[in-house]
Amino acid sequence: MNNTKIITKHWGRINPLKIEDYVAIGGYKALKKYIRDMDAERAIGEIKKSGLCGRGGAGFPTGNKLEIVAEKNGTKYFICNLDESEPGTYKDRAIVDNNPHSLIEGIIISALIIGAKRAIIYINGRYIKQKEILEIAVEQAGKYNFLGKGIIGSCYDLGIEIFSGAGAYICGEETALINSIEGNRGEPKSRPPYPTDAGLFGKPTVINNAETIVNIPWIITNGGEKYADSGGEKLYILGGSVKKPGVYEGSVGITIRQAIEKMGGGLKKGKEFWFAQIGGASGRLILGNELDCVLDYDRVSAETPRRGVSIMPIGSGSILVIDKTVDIKDLLLSWTTFFRYESCGKCVPCREGTFRLWEIAKRMQDGEITERDQKAIPEIIWTLQNTTFCPLGKFAATAFSDVMEKKLI
Amino acid sequence: MEILINKKAYQAQEGEMILDVCRRENIRIPTLCAFEGLPKEAVCRLCLVEINLADKLVPSCAFPVCEKLEVTTESEKIKKAREVNLELLWSDHAGKCVKCKKNRMCELQSLAEEYKIDNFHFVPRREDLTNAEELDLLKDNKIRVVVEEENPCIARTTEFCVECRRCINICPDKAFGFNHRAGDGVVGTPYEKTLDCSFCGECVRVCPVAALTDKNNFSKIIEDLDDMKKMAVALVAEGMEEKINTMLKYTEIAIEAKEVLKKLGFEKIFDFTEKDDEDEGLDEFKDQLAKKEKINLENIVLFYISDNISLKKEKIANLDHILTDREVARLARDRKII
Repeated sequence: MNNTKIITKHWGRINPLKIEDYVAIGGYKALKKYIRDMDAERAIGEIKKSGLCGRGGAGFPTGNKLEIVAEKNGTKYFICNLDESEPGTYKDRAIVDNNPHSLIEGIIISALIIGAKRAIIYINGRYIKQKEILEIAVEQAGKYNFLGKGIIGSCYDLGIEIFSGAGAYICGEETALINSIEGNRGEPKSRPPYPTDAGLFGKPTVINNAETIVNIPWIITNGGEKYADSGGEKLYILGGSVKKPGVYEGSVGITIRQAIEKMGGGLKKGKEFWFAQIGGASGRLILGNELDCVLDYDRVSAETPRRGVSIMPIGSGSILVIDKTVDIKDLLLSWTTFFRYESCGKCVPCREGTFRLWEIAKRMQDGEITERDQKAIPEIIWTLQNTTFCPLGKFAATAFSDVMEKKLI
Repeated sequence: MEILINKKAYQAQEGEMILDVCRRENIRIPTLCAFEGLPKEAVCRLCLVEINLADKLVPSCAFPVCEKLEVTTESEKIKKAREVNLELLWSDHAGKCVKCKKNRMCELQSLAEEYKIDNFHFVPRREDLTNAEELDLLKDNKIRVVVEEENPCIARTTEFCVECRRCINICPDKAFGFNHRAGDGVVGTPYEKTLDCSFCGECVRVCPVAALTDKNNFSKIIEDLDDMKKMAVALVAEGMEEKINTMLKYTEIAIEAKEVLKKLGFEKIFDFTEKDDEDEGLDEFKDQLAKKEKINLENIVLFYISDNISLKKEKIANLDHILTDREVARLARDRKII
């Protein structure tokens, strides 16, 4: 595991409410470098070289996304997706709690790269304290002229607004997020058009996850190649039956076993490993014999296949460790309750399917389920995975499906 | 451009959706939410097809045609998707057809027949449920079902609603939207207030099921039609004959609108043209007819056959009932004429 920390380096050592602390450790130097020595093209080149890709889970190459919108004319928007609502995932919250200015700096640089004059931070409605921290940070950045008109003497103008959602899971999906900001019901729209073509208020929009954005200042300062050498940094969130649950920074491409042992400190005393869930409530389940899977983005398997290593999509980076004392029926009910509540209700398979799965999970808890339910389970899972409108439905039954497939019940 | 549908070449225009081409070429694709002229919501997931450009199913109503597109409209996978999704919808409706206002004139019902949805394995049987589960179901039903019949023209019940969004999209007054969230979401008015709009009736026309229906006093209507002492008179508004004929086609029985009206018990049928500036024609008609036929005013029951349901709100003097094309078809169905 490499030791160059990019995101968490100054966590706990600086006061998140003081911009002076961040400036003292070299903060906003990347912004100055971008404004004085670089242009959008070069910056995009560096980001592309770095191989940085979306940390929200989908893993779309960040450089390409910025480039698509940077090449367009007219009004554009940059949105920071901080609607973190995947159960067991709180990396973005930790970023704001510990170093909000690294995020603000990343947002400013990204927005300037694409030529946006307005950037919006879409924050989960439940993150009340984090919203306050960000409000303070934005105000301070304005006082230092990192924001506003003519940023540090340049011709760039940028304003950052903080928009608080209502805490719906679906609003983390980009098109639903756009709907939410526009004042519509938070539900996904058909794609195409993609947000990069017609996003917020119909204008080209880049929506990046907060964790993706905090990597940008470092890449601008140190260069894309250096970032690529480190393999890329990722925040992992260890939870469940591990000794030291929390947010940890590590390389992309470590194995699940390494994450649990080295970051989480292994299992709690007296607990026996059963399985781990990767990437929140919509993530896959990993048994003991699969722990040497490498955590990475799908792109790796396509571009540089590694022999003999199976790859597990990293998702949001959360690793929930389940020990053998856990009742699987409780977990099933917890997952299905979550998706039943968080499905936006737009399309039939997701609205009705998550509801029926929840019903079945409830009946499971009360005792044996009937043959009719046994037959219904695979059909509902199939229709969720194959026919839903957006990815929420597609992944809503991933865990349920793994429980059945891997015979955990 | 040229695209392939089921291995046959068809012409298509830029900007058209797969479904548009299929409808023009008479290739059958089942739909529930799609409606001519309304935004493509792609929510019913019944019009899914397979294409060569992606390995997932795509909704044909919202997928624009492009060069080198090859579409498959029937396969095992597509059939399964349609069946499972229909059945999921059907689970919410099971066993309510016979008494339903839309029986035999319902889009969901005909799709269920087409796809032979008869096994209800998503619906729990009572004997399989514990008391606690049954209580939960009841509570759940309470949130999900909203009934409103306070307004003068439209009967609303979300029990039958399939959340296709046609009414939301077609309403010129923007009277409808979603309340609550996820599976509890119901189509309704803001804050569940009594519907108060211009009552153009468009939402009733487009509703594929019985969630939005015409409101009327059917028992009184039947009583009046059957009363031997009274003369039932129908004033048929312009264009209504054609609309009734369209409704009748649904049941595939060859019969004309006028004949249906006669069979329903109307003794006299007149064509009537509404004048823009004066509504007087309607309230004077009964008087004039009584004088002409030399019968008492109270022995005439005057029906206005029109889809202008906002008149129901107005209470026009000397006009007894207003019947829409939908209600004529419903009466005909109930009286086994069709």
